[in-house]
Amino acid sequence: MSDMRAYGYLIKMRVLTALAYRFDVWIGMIGDIILLAASVFIWKAAYGGDALGSGASIVGLDGMITYTVVSVLMTTVFSTGVQNTIYNQVREGNIALDFMRPLNLLGIYFSEDLGSMVSALVNKAIPLVIMASLLFGFPMPDSPTAAALFVASCVLSFMILWLMSAMVGLVAFWVAELGNLGMVKDAFIRVLSGSMVPLWFFPEGLQRISEWLPFQYTYQLPLSVYIGMTTPLDALRGMGIQLIWVALLGVLLAWIWTRARGKVMVQGG
Amino acid sequence: MAIIEVKDLVKEFVVVRKKTGLGNAIRSLVLPDKKIVRGVDGLSFNIEQGDIVGYIGPNGAGKSTTIKMLTGILYPTAGSIRVCGLSPHKERKAVVRQLGVVFGQRTQLYWDLRLGETFELLKRIYKIEDKRFKATLDMLNDVLRIQDFIDTPVRQLSLGQRMRGDLAASMIHDPTVLFLDEPTIGLDADAKHAIRGFIQTMNRERRMTVVLTTHDLDDVEQLCSRLLVVNHGRIVEDGPLDSIVGKLAPHRLLVIELSEDVQAPEHARAKIVRQDGLKVWYQFDKAAISASELIADLSGMLPIRDLSVQEPDIEDAIREVYRTTG
Ligand SMILES: Nc1ncnc2c1ncn2[C@@H]1O[C@H](COP(=O)(O)OP(=O)(O)OP(=O)(O)O)[C@@H](O)[C@H]1O
Ligand SMILES: [Mg+2]
Repeated sequence: MSDMRAYGYLIKMRVLTALAYRFDVWIGMIGDIILLAASVFIWKAAYGGDALGSGASIVGLDGMITYTVVSVLMTTVFSTGVQNTIYNQVREGNIALDFMRPLNLLGIYFSEDLGSMVSALVNKAIPLVIMASLLFGFPMPDSPTAAALFVASCVLSFMILWLMSAMVGLVAFWVAELGNLGMVKDAFIRVLSGSMVPLWFFPEGLQRISEWLPFQYTYQLPLSVYIGMTTPLDALRGMGIQLIWVALLGVLLAWIWTRARGKVMVQGG
Repeated sequence: MAIIEVKDLVKEFVVVRKKTGLGNAIRSLVLPDKKIVRGVDGLSFNIEQGDIVGYIGPNGAGKSTTIKMLTGILYPTAGSIRVCGLSPHKERKAVVRQLGVVFGQRTQLYWDLRLGETFELLKRIYKIEDKRFKATLDMLNDVLRIQDFIDTPVRQLSLGQRMRGDLAASMIHDPTVLFLDEPTIGLDADAKHAIRGFIQTMNRERRMTVVLTTHDLDDVEQLCSRLLVVNHGRIVEDGPLDSIVGKLAPHRLLVIELSEDVQAPEHARAKIVRQDGLKVWYQFDKAAISASELIADLSGMLPIRDLSVQEPDIEDAIREVYRTTG
């Protein structure tokens, strides 16, 4: 697999590209900080009153603030550009050029997203952590073990998110106008992953259902590991479920890919 | 064995006809009005190694569609393709390793990065050793003069520079076959000249096979040893440029300027097609009589001040092929 050097260079090129758009990075960060501050203030207000019901007894306000800060960090770092990349490349016909590389197309897009993640870690995550620490105090993990398990779980979270994005992206091979499908998927993720509001604040029925869906294993699992709400043993069990989802979605993606390959239309030219 | 073998190739596209009006729009969501369009309709041809083949035809003839199938991007609806002995869509990676491809309307260069960065990526994709990579870059630089802008971000390059960059990128791994889909589109005379020179050099020095799609007949005239003319997804002419032009427009013109106003005589093997003041146009078939014979005959009968021989117009001949097959 000496193709690895090519994929590695694609990662590097994406990091270099991100550097060319420094200004974008700063603007994006201002948005992130506003989002972060707003969420923290909402939680503070909610914990001040008694609107939260029994959910509030599960995690205290400090835990919830840490949860929110780390959740925004995860959102900033996780890059699943693959969905839009496929959509744009198909729409503009540039997919033809991607096919000219003796590489795996999804491998190319995966490398590019990894590159975006590396640059987001340096460019966005670090300044954001500093800002958040100044405003609300450093978001400490519950324990070193929790931190380590969090990182491992995040890797699997990202895989799940990426595979779902790639799948939605591939729909572009059948339907040239993809736009809204991606928005629906993103809305599902935002709500059901617990990235904004943890699912324990949701009705019992919805919580039962979402145990059978991949979404809560993307944000809520690693986040609750981080704040110590999930014991290390449960964390490992959760990561087992994450692995199962990665495998399932991976197989599904591979199947869609073989079907999509025969459907390729190249617009223009 | 021919380097490219195409047999009974067909590509069908399903197009959904959109109708106006809200009612029709809703109806077509449920029951789309589908129509099958044949972009390529039964192509067969072989291309030998070391040839420069001009693949020409009017807009929508199926040229780009053919190239997309030969390079493994599109799956054929029917028929078979062999490129370097392999099936492009079944063994895409192995085939594209041996191909260089330039689509004149697109670029494979990374827009936000310096030109050289794309070359570095290609070096790793094709696993080119340092020494060979440097030698190839030097060679490409000699012909395309890319050194001047190799450190410039691609988005700041002019169209001509970008095209030179794209050609260099397509050649960095020393491909066996080069596909060029309208490589001279939008370029000035100088840039076109450079690109033609480059194609000739690569072909001569590396025995590279070139398949060239273009609407610029100067490209064809200066580069191609053979022409494949397509229309409506089918081959309508195949052969060297002269023979296609000769077959369709066998006539040449002898234009004579007289020194005094006399009645120009008829000639058995040349026809007067026009007379205007002191100028006379004789049309003749080059198979029937040579220009020098005709001039010798006429100079005995006419007071000639000046003369010129006009070759048939390639543009006219090609337009005639498109018209008669259209
Ligand atoms: N993705 C597609 N969907 C539907 N029809 C298509 C598609 N691509 C090409 N066609 C049709 O197939 C035919 C051949 O198109 P193609 O692009 O191969 O022409 P071309 O010879 O390259 O023309 P040009 O000189 O204009 O570039 C055209 O009628 C075109 O409308
Ligand atoms: Mg075309």
